[in-house]
Amino acid sequence: MSEALYVYQSVGVLVPLLGGAAFALPLFTLVIKRKVFYDAYTAFFSLVALVLASYNYVLVRAEGKPLLYAFGGWPPPLGISYEVDEFSAVLGVLTASVMFLIVAYSLWYTRFMRGYEWYYTLLLGLETGLLGCLYTGDVFNLFVMLEVLSISAYALVAFYRSRPQAVEAAMKYGIIGATATTIYFIALVFIYGALGTLNMADIALKSRLITAGVGPISPFSNGLFGNAFIAASLAIALSLWAFTYKAALFPNHFWLPDAHPEAPTPVSAALSGLVVNVGVYAVVRFLYTLFGPKSFLISFRDAVMWALLVLGIASGLVGALLMAVQSDVKRLLAYSTVSHIGLIFMGLSIGTSSVSEDVATLGLTAALYHTVNHSVGKALLFMGVGVFINLLGTRDLDKLSGSGKLSPLVMGAVIVGFLQLMGAPPLGGFFSKLLLYQSLIEAGLIVPAVLVIAISAVSILGYLKVIYGLWAKPLKEAPKQVAGMAVPKTVVLVMAVACIALGVLSPMVTGLLAGSINASFTDSGVRDYVNSFMSFAIYVVKYLGGG
Amino acid sequence: MAININSYLFTVLTLAIFMNLAISLYGIFARPSLIKKIIALTILADTANTLAIMVGYRGWPSPSQPVKPPVLTVLKPSREVIKEFASTSVDPLPQALVLTAIVIGLAVTLFLVFLTLQIYRLYGTTDVRKVAKLRG
Repeated sequence: MSEALYVYQSVGVLVPLLGGAAFALPLFTLVIKRKVFYDAYTAFFSLVALVLASYNYVLVRAEGKPLLYAFGGWPPPLGISYEVDEFSAVLGVLTASVMFLIVAYSLWYTRFMRGYEWYYTLLLGLETGLLGCLYTGDVFNLFVMLEVLSISAYALVAFYRSRPQAVEAAMKYGIIGATATTIYFIALVFIYGALGTLNMADIALKSRLITAGVGPISPFSNGLFGNAFIAASLAIALSLWAFTYKAALFPNHFWLPDAHPEAPTPVSAALSGLVVNVGVYAVVRFLYTLFGPKSFLISFRDAVMWALLVLGIASGLVGALLMAVQSDVKRLLAYSTVSHIGLIFMGLSIGTSSVSEDVATLGLTAALYHTVNHSVGKALLFMGVGVFINLLGTRDLDKLSGSGKLSPLVMGAVIVGFLQLMGAPPLGGFFSKLLLYQSLIEAGLIVPAVLVIAISAVSILGYLKVIYGLWAKPLKEAPKQVAGMAVPKTVVLVMAVACIALGVLSPMVTGLLAGSINASFTDSGVRDYVNSFMSFAIYVVKYLGGG
Repeated sequence: MAININSYLFTVLTLAIFMNLAISLYGIFARPSLIKKIIALTILADTANTLAIMVGYRGWPSPSQPVKPPVLTVLKPSREVIKEFASTSVDPLPQALVLTAIVIGLAVTLFLVFLTLQIYRLYGTTDVRKVAKLRG
């Protein structure tokens, strides 16, 4: 076999390149003082990320198996490897494209900002962390990338450091976030202690071999130590706390309504649209690939799934109810994120051992489709409403009344965004909620299925309040200046068109996403994930002259 | 019955680690002072690191007869030499994990300390109850 068959540079180069770009940026501030340079620099690298992420998606579909890149040429269980299957590739494209639009919007947003170079550094660092979390094939590297992501996110929340609320929100987010990632580190110690490996595919292989009764021996690393069932269950319990904290699932949502509104507007879009996805991604990766339906943890996994379903329902209801009483428009959108994360978790928790694989993948497809819809819709809303907030200098819904009249185009896009989240028929949000409802019905979960409708119905109140306030009420005060808004207008227009396309092309989108889920999380999908790793490891060992 | 010193130390260490975990989590969630929260957070991180080192621990093959330490003395070791080396040396991976975790912990702690300083400048206190009251 040729070497080129196994080396996917596009997978390996993306994250180090972005990270290098992010941390080289402060060096340029020593010599270059013009803002246009930093604008172009950030836009260029986010475009490169978009191109590479899209290329990876096309490549993984063309190859029909997960792409693996081993850093430094070390065979996977020894060295760190990145492994991209279709699920991570889809989320990678979503992240890179929304992030590119956020960077484009930032060019306008930072026009009067002091310290924009640090803002851009942190924004690129955030993108590095996001893509690293999605692409990594190593649970410890996931911890590192989670920290890269988290530190950038904490610092961006506290970016307006002379604002007392922003600093306080970042402190709340940061100190519990650091605790959560440390708890995840403890979970990793348990995984390594019991299973003797940190490679995701190797863990998946071992957890399947134990069920199959082949014995606890993976050809690539040590055997088991101690009671693997208890250790792995404990590890899942601990790491799920960290992931649900990142995803802001009830009751770990307490930081989100403070942190998201206080961040600069484009960062709010990134936090609400993209960062929470990483928590969802990690939970799916742990419960479907690492310790999937064929693993030795079946009984414990079922209990976890039920707990996630209940928490998802609670999260959806709490978010929808609290949303209606907010007067700060960004805080309202933040509670909407909590509600939608609840819906996504309801979708991914369908796959207990009692339902068939088809129903489980249907639920996952609904969750992925809703993740995509929510990301695009929520980023659009934060940026669209952010235009009015920026013009009038307030986040209070009363003071913002009538501001939609300032720019009918942006207002139109904002309405599309709200309809998207509400689940109005021609848009993507409707179809993903419908799919979620169908999959819950097929799994025999009638009450949660009805609750999906109830959550949507309750949340309509909050959304209509904003639409009515921004559009129908009279304008109270004239803005400072309205000119020079070509960039934000284009960005929100592109995102509104994306929302409509996600809905109108729903059969196609659903087909694509269902294909990705089937390629990643069915029994054969997980086997492919493990096989990519095994064939690479065997190849490298042979190449080095081993037995 | 002779007391097995190894299992005694193992038990003490395990208990100490879990006590430490409980105390540091209590400190993070229940103490009102931000400085004390950060101290508790570093204790939590250090406890996690100790746990990782403990997982990588390997008992000396024979306590009464010390063997030679696991050091490779030849440039191109043969298969037997490598086998002997691997059977006596400690698992290096937990130590690499701990090294990475310490570096990350340093960055996070520094950032949180800066935030605390900024909170002190803006609110005049580091007590989270007073901060919450002042924030309104």
